[in-house]
Amino acid sequence: MSEPVFVYALSTCPWCRKAKQYFAENDVVFEAVDVDLLEDDESDRLAGEAFELSGSRAYPVVKIGAEVIVGYAPERYAALLGIET
Amino acid sequence: MAHEARTAALREFFAPLVSALGYKFTPDRELADFLLEQEAVLEETRGAPFCPCQVRTREREHDMKIVCPCIPYHRAHFDAMRRCWCGLFVHQDVTDPGALPQIAASELGIEG
Repeated sequence: MSEPVFVYALSTCPWCRKAKQYFAENDVVFEAVDVDLLEDDESDRLAGEAFELSGSRAYPVVKIGAEVIVGYAPERYAALLGIET
Repeated sequence: MAHEARTAALREFFAPLVSALGYKFTPDRELADFLLEQEAVLEETRGAPFCPCQVRTREREHDMKIVCPCIPYHRAHFDAMRRCWCGLFVHQDVTDPGALPQIAASELGIEG
């Protein structure tokens, strides 16, 4: 079974879009949320969750299984998911 | 482009500021235009041209540090990557911005 993938994203961030596009193009099942498009309470909760995971306010924050990657890093995504590059 | 006038104004306003910091606009014009338009939207909706790739906390002390150009507040991190986080600006000697990955500050041993 492949690792669960979750993308914490911002709707204004092109690298977040690229990350989501990467997973879609490689047929990776993933969930994503644009934190900035949520109501304040929910946005704060998700942003807090991403910060707890990453220690960073920079996006995208990508969780692959237990691993957390900050930034658009397709080679690292591929390595964790066993995708040939 | 919906915010063409403001995007052009931001470009003109930022250029001398980042030049003095040793940076320039990314040569990737499409990326720069997209990011500047996002900043114009953020300025209109959130009150300032915040970095499109860093989350606001609505705590003033934090949020003021992600108003573009935010280079002075993240200098060590951005100098190590030779670009700012969103990629709007790169070091003045950079010609291939696509070769500069995003690397978390923590991975570089730098406080973000």
